[in-house]
Amino acid sequence: MKPPQYRLTEIRVFYRANLALEVDELTIASGHLHILAGPNGSGKSTLLGILAFLMKPGHGQVAFAGTQVDWQRKQLASLRKQVTLLHQHSFLFSGTVFANVAFGPRARGMAKEDVQRTVGEALAMVGLDGFESRNARHLSGGEARRVALARALACQPEVLLLDEPLAHVDKESAQIIETLVISLSSRGTTVVMSSHNEQLGQRTESRVIRLLDGKVERIVEDNGQAPGRAVDGYRYAKL
Amino acid sequence: MGFIAESFRTALSLIFSADQDVFAAVRTSVGVAAWSVLLAAVFGIPVGLGVGVNQFPLKRVVIVVLNSLMAMPTVVLGLLVYGLVSRQGPLGGRGLLFTPNAMVIGQTLLAVPIVANYTLSAIKGADSRIVPTALTLGAGSLRSMMQLTREVRFGIMAAVIAGFGRVISEVGVAMMLGGNIRWYTRTMTTAIALETSKGEFAFGLALGIILMVVSFSINILLTFMQESHQP
Repeated sequence: MKPPQYRLTEIRVFYRANLALEVDELTIASGHLHILAGPNGSGKSTLLGILAFLMKPGHGQVAFAGTQVDWQRKQLASLRKQVTLLHQHSFLFSGTVFANVAFGPRARGMAKEDVQRTVGEALAMVGLDGFESRNARHLSGGEARRVALARALACQPEVLLLDEPLAHVDKESAQIIETLVISLSSRGTTVVMSSHNEQLGQRTESRVIRLLDGKVERIVEDNGQAPGRAVDGYRYAKL
Repeated sequence: MGFIAESFRTALSLIFSADQDVFAAVRTSVGVAAWSVLLAAVFGIPVGLGVGVNQFPLKRVVIVVLNSLMAMPTVVLGLLVYGLVSRQGPLGGRGLLFTPNAMVIGQTLLAVPIVANYTLSAIKGADSRIVPTALTLGAGSLRSMMQLTREVRFGIMAAVIAGFGRVISEVGVAMMLGGNIRWYTRTMTTAIALETSKGEFAFGLALGIILMVVSFSINILLTFMQESHQP
């Protein structure tokens, strides 16, 4: 049996003296769409930071695809090549759109000709064909978000983490991003995205993990279509 | 007023006649300053990056020390390096004293805190998302640092400009470690000090004009490069 993509146990994250995240147990299955829902300050970004291996929790264990994460530099470098996080306020490097989208493939040691092709494909997926030579700093907000998404897609990650990808984007960009996310998860990529908008969970075949005050309040499987599967997060994880 | 005007005319004639003494001092000044600032960049930029990016105990102390070193009197620094390279010093056997190499050592030490501090300021002002973005795209620590350096390159260029400005205009280190030897270690600043004290005001003024032109030109060139590459 394939191990889950992530298994989090007894996770505690503190910001100064405040407990920002407390997850007793949480399993994230591979190849599915998971939506982290909850209000501001509920711990969504913190959880994504842990899942992206950018933030070591103060306490607790994380297992990735059955392997315990030791948070040592060597292992982190390897894990980060399998996971890509698109930040809520994504940062585009100075230079061209091509240089931005090619960054991940180059960092992963992809051959030059493959980089060219991968960048073209990633930009096409987000509807920005021909944007390669554009200055990344001269894009509209929606275009910049889509370039950031293309940059994440070009890495061809096993896990794609998206922090509020639909926030502050125009309707067209939101539609493209949503369609893409659904398509990726249906093709076997594990997608974990945070969103204020819980309606997205109802529109998609997804698992909604609702956070409140840094804790898993409840988990709803398959957009709540399976009756009785919305259960307390802690007890659900123990089942 | 006539004295100054006459000196100014003599200074210009020395410049346009390509006086060998004048141009030997210019060559030494620019050469020593270029090597010093290059070495200061090699050491100072990583120090600024390391202090700026990493969290470690006594970080504040390190920053205070770096800031304080920027105000190091050049004569004191010259004195310290003199102690190292003089015959009785630990590096005395290498015959460095009164050579351009000794001047490079001294001026490098002078410029390192400046380059490090300006780099540190550039890092502090950089977008905090640069490194996490690079890491999450699969870059290792070194590549992430390189990307950060690339993003703050204009601030780093300012660090190099400031370092160059400091070393080309200083006189204490050049005098103490170079010895102001004609056609060998005599720089524009040491020559100005010497010639003026000898009453050769026109010669000093000629070098002063060239020093300003060289110093301003390099700064204007670097600033132009900075602005033309800004997004």
